[in-house]
Amino acid sequence: MTIIATGLSAARSGRIILHTTDVEIRRGERIGLVGASGSGKSTLGHALIDSLRAQGASVAHVPQSPDEALDPLRSMAFHWREAEQALGLALDPSRKQKLFAALRIEDGDLRKRPWGWSRGMQQRFVIAMALIGTPDLLVMDEPTSALDPVVAAGMMDLLDRYLSDRRTALLLITHDLGLAAARVLRLMVMAEGRIVEDAPTPDLLRVPRTEAARSLCAHRNWLALPC
Amino acid sequence: MRVILSLLLRAAVVLAGTALATFTLLWHAPGDPALAIALARFRSVVPDAVIEQVRVEAGFDAGFWPAFLSWLGPILLGDFGQSSVTGRDVWPELVTAMSYTFPLALSGLAIGVALSIPLALLATRHPGGWLDRFAVALASIGVAIPQFWLGLLLILLFAVQLGWLPAMGARTPTHLILPALTLGLTVSASLTRILRSGILEARGRPFLPAFRRRGVSEAHLTRNHIAPHAAIPVVTVFGLELAFLLEGVVMVEVIFARPGLGIFLVGAIEARDFPKVQAVVILAALLFVTVNLLIDLLYQVIDPRIGDRDA
Repeated sequence: MTIIATGLSAARSGRIILHTTDVEIRRGERIGLVGASGSGKSTLGHALIDSLRAQGASVAHVPQSPDEALDPLRSMAFHWREAEQALGLALDPSRKQKLFAALRIEDGDLRKRPWGWSRGMQQRFVIAMALIGTPDLLVMDEPTSALDPVVAAGMMDLLDRYLSDRRTALLLITHDLGLAAARVLRLMVMAEGRIVEDAPTPDLLRVPRTEAARSLCAHRNWLALPC
Repeated sequence: MRVILSLLLRAAVVLAGTALATFTLLWHAPGDPALAIALARFRSVVPDAVIEQVRVEAGFDAGFWPAFLSWLGPILLGDFGQSSVTGRDVWPELVTAMSYTFPLALSGLAIGVALSIPLALLATRHPGGWLDRFAVALASIGVAIPQFWLGLLLILLFAVQLGWLPAMGARTPTHLILPALTLGLTVSASLTRILRSGILEARGRPFLPAFRRRGVSEAHLTRNHIAPHAAIPVVTVFGLELAFLLEGVVMVEVIFARPGLGIFLVGAIEARDFPKVQAVVILAALLFVTVNLLIDLLYQVIDPRIGDRDA
């Protein structure tokens, strides 16, 4: 099944921050959405999610920081139960165990509130929550920016395996071309509210055609980071 | 458990400090307390010998610390002593005064809560709209109006002009209405402001959009995430609100000539009746410490991060 969203756009206080855009994602496809800060990546992500949800498609979202996904006054168990109920699913302990095992957070104490967990574990918990409904598309907005590179790489590996097994599509929003290049087969480059380049990862890295893509490639850091 | 123990310890320190501070203040207040007591008792010119006798009787001759300890000791056992003017036990009079004051304070608080919650909810429906601005203006005026003036206005309208309600005394339950309203209107003004800003701030929490994208319904979001966050500032302010309430009670009781702690305290201060004044202050301090203790314990339930550092 191919996911198609057309006519995505967004404006804030009279200024267009996302020009009309169409996005097509094939089943199980991994796409990286890269661009400088303020180029409209997150806006496109949000518009895509809202549009697909309106179509009735199953999409899940992982925000940049766990602070944007978890209520500090509620326990982890509460969040989990709430996410299951929001999807209309019956409570299923085995689903939780499977996801927790896949993301290596079985040891987390669910009675604790988010700040009782480390940030890395919080972030993985948020990802596990996003995967509860086995969505067709997972949109991750800078998922590793709050983590150190080693933890980030480990998390992306775990996620990679889980997504391949279920053929879930992934839209990885990041300003880190190095991270995206290692994880996705297709790259979309954004600049000033438009997708300016959309090409398979190796092609784009070899011959970046637009100014935005060239400047991203020039600043990539290949060797230093494990992810 | 450790948290509760440290909270209790803190409460004890606060109470001991209050006892010492009140005693010191009264001890060093200008004028001779023995003379004041003698005057209050005999209402005429008193010879020096009588003043000295009163001084010995009241234990003022022994010096500061012995006098302090001989006063504090019985209080720890629940004995507030005798009035230095009338010689009668303080405690029964205090109980009578409280039996008038607590219904007033509680109904004032109830009116305040009953008015402020709907008003805050209406105001935050459209932030910045005319209803919101109206509520904010109303609350600001309510905070600014002194209680003695508001009380007099209510008396003028309901007792003098309309003749619906009694203005003075405390004989029937209807006597409670005007004083409780005076108190309740002021309480509701400050509570509305806090509730309103609490709700607006809770609605702006950064995690809410993610919950909506997760498919959590608005009703669920309001009940389980926005309401607890909005409640935190309200709980915090409740302890302060109590101070406000006690202060207001004294004022309102005097305006409406209602027997109670206010009249009791004012009368005791005018008569320089040490034991009575100290009894009221200690009682107020005890009330404060108890409410703040409860609030701290409530934090442990709502949000243990608050007060985590020093607990």
